[in-house]
Amino acid sequence: MHIPDGFIAPQLYLPLYGVAAGLWAYGARRLGQDLDEAGLPWLAAITAAAFAASFIALPLPGGTSAHVTGIGLLAVLFGFWQAFMAGSLVFAMQALLFGDGGVTTLPLNALAMAGAGAAAARGIYLLLRRLHSPTALFLAGWIGLVLPALLLALALGIQPWLGQDALGRPLYFPFGLQVTLPALLIPHALLGLGEGLVTVLGWNLIQRMKGRYSAG
Amino acid sequence: MPVDASRRDQAWLWGYLAGLVALSALTEPIWLMLGLVLILALAGRRAGVLLRRAALATLLFSGMVSLAFAGYSLALDGHLPWPWLLTVNVRVLAMALLTFLFMERVNLFRALAFSRRLSLLLVLAMSQAQSMRRTLVEFRQGLESRQLGEPALQARYRAAARALVWLLDRALANAHESAQALRSRGFFQ
Repeated sequence: MHIPDGFIAPQLYLPLYGVAAGLWAYGARRLGQDLDEAGLPWLAAITAAAFAASFIALPLPGGTSAHVTGIGLLAVLFGFWQAFMAGSLVFAMQALLFGDGGVTTLPLNALAMAGAGAAAARGIYLLLRRLHSPTALFLAGWIGLVLPALLLALALGIQPWLGQDALGRPLYFPFGLQVTLPALLIPHALLGLGEGLVTVLGWNLIQRMKGRYSAG
Repeated sequence: MPVDASRRDQAWLWGYLAGLVALSALTEPIWLMLGLVLILALAGRRAGVLLRRAALATLLFSGMVSLAFAGYSLALDGHLPWPWLLTVNVRVLAMALLTFLFMERVNLFRALAFSRRLSLLLVLAMSQAQSMRRTLVEFRQGLESRQLGEPALQARYRAAARALVWLLDRALANAHESAQALRSRGFFQ
């Protein structure tokens, strides 16, 4: 579920836009000399795949389901910058073309999910792959979901402190960290198990199609 | 591409972004309500439809947080947090309504025409995403049609992983094909 516009104070999202804009500009350069004839179609295709991946249901015991983010697998396969840029574009498309999620919350979603999530997934994978590759992949998928949840919980939880009226009443998201941290971290720690499993299964299937992908 | 329409859409884009920032900074319910009325007036005959869409899009998150905070306040000091409920829900609704009005009035591809590459990136990504999404629906229907009852958890996991891999494989092929198409048309000359 994406955070809609109106819950995040401008004191947070405006500086985050500054940080995200800098990373987007640098990422565009990294992806192929300002998106040339190879870089631009590649980014478009990975973005489309990441966008469509959010429609894949991740089955949970009991008949319910959540949605795959694919950030862990994208980061492991293609590297941080491609995962970050594709993920950011997906959030922009969802907000501006489908009204899903917010435009003011775009930098928060992009930096937390596509940025920190992809960086942590890639880092864990590179660190642990020599010890035990399936464990490294599983943890990459898990951390790619759980770390963004932690960051979103922190961002939401500081809203009562960032925006309050003269009487100390909240003006944006009303709950503090004591509520947001367990509310987001506990379910995402469990959902991350499914994301980790899909990352391992996805990687194994890709290995059977050797030579068609290159790691970042 | 008509230049006037493109300029009009770009003006809408900047106006929309400025409007969002202004609404997000407002904390008095009276100003937020005035903002909401102004957006409804701009929407004209489509106001009812767009208001309904905006309410549905935000209902789940706003409703959940509002109910939880109302319950928390009731338990804590015995009364409903009316100022917060009014301020935040009107702000969320006004901002969502502005977004739906923008989506209806503006061609985003034309609004981004100031950057040829950004516009092309969006066209390529959107067209491929829609096609991939349709195929994923067919995959799901295929899985369901091969089972007598609800598919087993293991089968659903395998199907999710295979669908993800198909997406990546398709993306790779699409990137190659798009690059060749752009090169053959001299896009980057």
